[in-house]
Amino acid sequence: MNIRKLALLFLLGSVFVPVSQAQIKHIEMRVEGMT
Amino acid sequence: MKQHLGRQSGVQSVDVSLIDGKVDVVPKEDGQVDPAQLLKAVYDSGVTVAEMDITVRGKIRKDSLGNFALQVSPNQSLAIAPNDLLKTVEPLADSPAVVTVRGELYRKPAGKKKAAASAPLRLLILEVQKKE
Repeated sequence: MNIRKLALLFLLGSVFVPVSQAQIKHIEMRVEGMT
Repeated sequence: MKQHLGRQSGVQSVDVSLIDGKVDVVPKEDGQVDPAQLLKAVYDSGVTVAEMDITVRGKIRKDSLGNFALQVSPNQSLAIAPNDLLKTVEPLADSPAVVTVRGELYRKPAGKKKAAASAPLRLLILEVQKKE
């Protein structure tokens, strides 16, 4: 049972960790000609 | 413009300040947003982008020609323009280390009234916020 839980944790970790490791967090633009 | 940007893929929220001409874009949780697409969307709404700054987390990569890039996802990376701050993260190239940087991704060329929306984007690192 514990091995199954560990395997599931490992599987979920391998799916979600790469997404959380790298990402664009914020973009700010200065624009001209806006009325 | 706010609606136009809000419809772009990967955008969670858009905040426009008419007073100082600033546009803040917050990507969705996965951070899968294309800055070039946002730049084009702003131009398409009839406004000129003078400057685009970005805060991004990723891995430093070096290609066979010696050019550096910040890999944001398996299929997205941003070319890095050389400067002194790049030298501080160069040793992390092709390692598992993750860096968070703030940088300038686009600036309208001086002297030109209207710049091409398709100009190549290069990340000029302004601040290294974190090395993990």
